[in-house]
Amino acid sequence: MERTSRQLVLDTLNFKNTDGRVPRQIWTLPWAEFTYPEMFKKIQDDFVWDFGGPQTTYEKLPKTQGDAYEVGTYVDEWGCIFTNIHRGIIGEVKEPIVKEEDWSDVGNVHIPEELLTFDIDKVNEACKASDKFMIAGCCPRPFEQLQFIRGTVDLYMDLMDPPKKMLEFMEKMHDFYCRLLTKWAQTDVDALNMMDDWGSQNALLINPELWDKYFRPMYKDYIDIAHKHGKKMFMHSDGYTLDIIPRLIDLGLDALNCQIFCMGVEKLKQFKGKITFWGEIDRQHLIPNGTLEQIDQAVKSVYDNLWADGGCIAQCEFGPGANPDNIYQIYKTWESIR
Amino acid sequence: MSTTLVEMSEFLQKGRVKNVKELIQKALDEGIAPKTILEEGLLSGMSVVGEKFKKNEVFVPEVLIAARAMNAGTTMLKPYLVQEGVESKGTVVIGTVKGDLHDIGKNIVKMMMEGKGLNVIDLGVDVSAEQYVTAAKENDADIIACSTLLTTTMGEIKNVVDLVKAEGIRAKVMIGGAPVTQDFCDSVNADSYTPDAATAADVALSFCL
Repeated sequence: MERTSRQLVLDTLNFKNTDGRVPRQIWTLPWAEFTYPEMFKKIQDDFVWDFGGPQTTYEKLPKTQGDAYEVGTYVDEWGCIFTNIHRGIIGEVKEPIVKEEDWSDVGNVHIPEELLTFDIDKVNEACKASDKFMIAGCCPRPFEQLQFIRGTVDLYMDLMDPPKKMLEFMEKMHDFYCRLLTKWAQTDVDALNMMDDWGSQNALLINPELWDKYFRPMYKDYIDIAHKHGKKMFMHSDGYTLDIIPRLIDLGLDALNCQIFCMGVEKLKQFKGKITFWGEIDRQHLIPNGTLEQIDQAVKSVYDNLWADGGCIAQCEFGPGANPDNIYQIYKTWESIR
Repeated sequence: MSTTLVEMSEFLQKGRVKNVKELIQKALDEGIAPKTILEEGLLSGMSVVGEKFKKNEVFVPEVLIAARAMNAGTTMLKPYLVQEGVESKGTVVIGTVKGDLHDIGKNIVKMMMEGKGLNVIDLGVDVSAEQYVTAAKENDADIIACSTLLTTTMGEIKNVVDLVKAEGIRAKVMIGGAPVTQDFCDSVNADSYTPDAATAADVALSFCL
């Protein structure tokens, strides 16, 4: 009997995929669909995809305003205001909610408890109806959400000597994320996920000591929640994150979506067999400007350096600036490898 | 060097605004020239931070708090510098290119350049080629510094370079940002690409000397 997508992904995460293909997933931004509708469809149709996510319905709707991917203003579940000048991608926060240095106005932040009112039965029905590997419909991002709330520059400075009210808020936010992840962990999804971009182009954004002090304990709790309920834990983090990968492995993270080519695949070889690389292929240079041959070489280098009866997921992002032929070639090459 | 200035530099590196301001007053009371206070107390501290940043010994938050202390110090010192006729070492017009709203990288470069004693005019984000060139002309800028994070807006850099050349202004064009490379810099004929903020500040200063 042929393995289901769910089992294929699990075998890959457990480094027991001795004879199956490399599981596939594609991330698409709305930009891709309206810029290259035909290629978008062809890619969707020509390959088997192994990941899914349940449709989520809420008893109380999260209090967002606008469309995150349209030009204009979008307000997220926490009340953070995004300005966007490009259709199809998400904008930037230009007006923080917390403006006071002592965080005395933190009461203006809305903790989105509405997200906890999702319908577990509907999630379970969706999981039962699918043989895909299902990832939860929530994604804690403590570092990024704090930046959205306070503004990047001020948040970074606050981290050097956090005001009491900021620390209290971080505890509240963490408590909320733990409750949200716990509820998702009680469903039939296969994995939970979280994200935070931790790298610039050539270094970590903050001192690893600060990371250890404030964020490592949060991630530990999130990963422990997943594992306690028999779920896998996935994380996305952009930039040069080499220095925290050993820490994430130590915490038990199962799969990491990182910018492999920003760090260099050779430098990641040391982690082969210890964590699954959930993509990607270089979206800064190769996907927009690379030749098909360069794409082939890139995919092969990921496989050669990081595959160990698992440990790789064929994933990339079809987003702004991408050459659609290169996106197609990525999956064609993965398919030709195994 | 005066122990007051050494202490000032050390406190600046730690981002201690109050201590830096107290030591500026102390240095003035001791009769140290404002230009010496600026260079040996403030800019030297920022220079140490820049070097450590290049080597990944300190990170963005440490740079930001040091820059905040330096700004507080230079603001306090400014009337004395003006009185003494001290001028900046050069003028930079900086911004994130048209179509791009990201500004953390640009802000760090700005702070590092100010830490070299340069006068930096920040045009913000989503800046058109015409806005860069107009600002450069108005301020007789030595440098136009363009930042971008998105691959889709890199092309705007070429528009800036082309307009600078077409208008015949003297400003050098420096470029940077996550997707930018030396190859790209060469392809658009910009004057300099730098991979990090501290190096950008070094190169900017060298263009002004």
